[in-house]
Amino acid sequence: MMTRMEKRNLAMGLLFASPWVLGFLVFTLYPLIMSIYYSFTSFNVVQPAVWVGLDNYRELFFKDPVFWTALYNTLYFTLFSVPLCLASGLGIAMLLNQKLPGQSVFRTLFFLPSIVPIVASAVLWLWVLNPESGLVNSLLMQWFGIQGPGWIASPEWSKPSLILMSVWGIGGAMVIFLAGLADVPPTLYEVAELDGAGAWAKFRHVTLPMLTPTILFNLVMGLISSFQYFTQVYVMTGGKGTPVDTTMFYALYLYRNSFYYLRMGYASAMAWMLFMVILAATVGVLVSSRKWVFYHGE
Amino acid sequence: MNGHSDIKRWLLWAAALAAGALLLFVLWPSAASSDEERQAIRDGREVIVYWDRHSGHEHAERRKLINEFNHSQNEVYIRAVPIGFEALMEKALTSIAGSAPPDIMSLDGSVICQLAGDGLFLPLDDFVAGEPEIRPDKFFPSIWPMIKFDGHVWVIPTTTDIICLIWNKQEFIKAGLDPERPPQTLEELEDYAAKLTVRKPNGAIEQMGFLPWLPWDNSFMWGEFFGGKWYNEKTGLSECGSDPAIIRSFAWQLSFTQGPDPSKDKPYAMDPNMVTSFSKGLGEYMSANNPFYTGRVAMMTEGEWQVAYIPKYAPSLDWGVAPIPQPAGVTPMAYDPTIVGDIIPATARHPEAAKKFLHWFYNNRPGGTSPVSDYNAAIRNIPPRIDDAMQERFMKNPKFSVFVRQLLDRPVVALPSIPSNRLLTDEMERQRERVVMHETTPEEAARMVQDTVNREIMRLRSLPKGGAAK
Repeated sequence: MMTRMEKRNLAMGLLFASPWVLGFLVFTLYPLIMSIYYSFTSFNVVQPAVWVGLDNYRELFFKDPVFWTALYNTLYFTLFSVPLCLASGLGIAMLLNQKLPGQSVFRTLFFLPSIVPIVASAVLWLWVLNPESGLVNSLLMQWFGIQGPGWIASPEWSKPSLILMSVWGIGGAMVIFLAGLADVPPTLYEVAELDGAGAWAKFRHVTLPMLTPTILFNLVMGLISSFQYFTQVYVMTGGKGTPVDTTMFYALYLYRNSFYYLRMGYASAMAWMLFMVILAATVGVLVSSRKWVFYHGE
Repeated sequence: MNGHSDIKRWLLWAAALAAGALLLFVLWPSAASSDEERQAIRDGREVIVYWDRHSGHEHAERRKLINEFNHSQNEVYIRAVPIGFEALMEKALTSIAGSAPPDIMSLDGSVICQLAGDGLFLPLDDFVAGEPEIRPDKFFPSIWPMIKFDGHVWVIPTTTDIICLIWNKQEFIKAGLDPERPPQTLEELEDYAAKLTVRKPNGAIEQMGFLPWLPWDNSFMWGEFFGGKWYNEKTGLSECGSDPAIIRSFAWQLSFTQGPDPSKDKPYAMDPNMVTSFSKGLGEYMSANNPFYTGRVAMMTEGEWQVAYIPKYAPSLDWGVAPIPQPAGVTPMAYDPTIVGDIIPATARHPEAAKKFLHWFYNNRPGGTSPVSDYNAAIRNIPPRIDDAMQERFMKNPKFSVFVRQLLDRPVVALPSIPSNRLLTDEMERQRERVVMHETTPEEAARMVQDTVNREIMRLRSLPKGGAAK
């Protein structure tokens, strides 16, 4: 039985949380549930949805080659981008964790790219990677006499370009790693030093195990955002996924189906397939984490 | 003591509420966007909103005419908003479907085809029936099928376009070509392309003579110019997969990139990776860095708007314009890529006021010209009505008149007015890119276009018809 004060606190809590609760119900939960229904329909927003059973899923799997291309591109990107961002985020966090003068300035500088709007940074990278007059190719030519690749314009280099670009946004992961590093008890390093551990041994046997919960968190978040990679490629290719579909990412193809061709039912089916892929990847990582994540105090 | 803290707490609450109310009052969006509009509201005029798909100088010219309309009568006041052509369909769809549309909106023909069948626009048959100046015989023959389809008139066209070949005379002189003689045949176009292409020592492209897909993909036009048909109006399906002319047009575009066997390459062929790098590295289209203005591309297929753009961005450029060379044995044709026109959304709040504007825009002022032709004269587009286009201010310009004459002198091909036409053009571009990058064959590409488009057409056919068209 709740006391009067508890009831009052509950009411006040709900009242203050109500903007979020309402927003969640209206803008997340309702569309989420409806999209399951729409994935079994032909729906263009304007006309009432027409039930088509499993047609959308059949077309995805058996008739639409671009679906598989988009899925492959997204998996490829995720496979390389997530580990690269984790490694570089951790590496920079380790460097910025050194007690040096101006530490906070360096931390701010490395975090800055993460607060640049994605569209602005995509346009900036278009200039940097411009095959003709971009900064990278100009420097390659001036310093090494090498004719740089076409980067985003080249079928071979377009995905690697985007993977390299993804390192630009590691600020968020870096800050979380810094927090994780601050949480490692200094006594563990002292004990390791007494046992004669060098820098590498301390990193391998103290830092890394203690950071595994942080790595798990960054890994799961990185997976989710990589599978939904959209804005940069939309801006950089004008929404076309060029050249020859090598940057046709899953979310971009989903967007094209929904807003270019008004195939909302088909796009909903795509969205649910993506949800399943992300769910499988996340569950896989979480299940495997029992073997490699060490929680302090366990 | 308790009473004192209660009062203090209530006062704090009251102050917070008052501050919130003040903030809301300050941030509340104004019903009017200008003093003039506020005055119009006070005067009891109907205020309507016009979304313009143009921006920059083209919107500025539209706004001048809308201001003139606002001052010409005291019943309707128009607020013009430039929305630009980026994500145009998304903006149109979400605003109309969300019941918050403007009262009148300018859209591209391709967007209109895609949305009209779903009842998003008000059919304008009744309006047109009462407008002697908006009759089919007043327009160029290619226009009416773009505005009336599925049994209804959906749009009042404002501008139309024609694509021609433009060339840089200075680059012709450098290449030893006669600057006053553009290529006349497809073979000459290929020959000129070879002569005008300059490569760097490492094989990279310094200057490009001609590329069929610059500044954008023109596969529809080339396919039709080769005598093919992407879409069969009679069957309502695409039959391009078995059309030899369509396959030939893909193969011709393929000839502009080098293949695995150098002995089969044409002299104008370029490394496909170099072509994509070159294309991606080119300057902004609407800027002084446009590759045609800077001489990096010597010949291009372009629209009549360049008659306005080039004096603005490259005033010293010496250039010419001519009909596009076409394959021998096929009747020479012209290509009208689209119209831009005004639609009234089905959920518009003031459709009658919007019609008053359309009536004003399409009729001659007493003793003068019509606003629609003035608009085209200002932005250098082609007026869709023949009489407007024949005015001296259009035809006395030797370059502009070449564009206009195409609409009169040749059969005109235009995209089919079908809901799937965006899918058709996107798939043509996708397959053309795969062909020129040697990822697929012309035959397979044509078949893929046919299969993809027909799959969508069949899907749409299986759905019940709805909206205003029902």
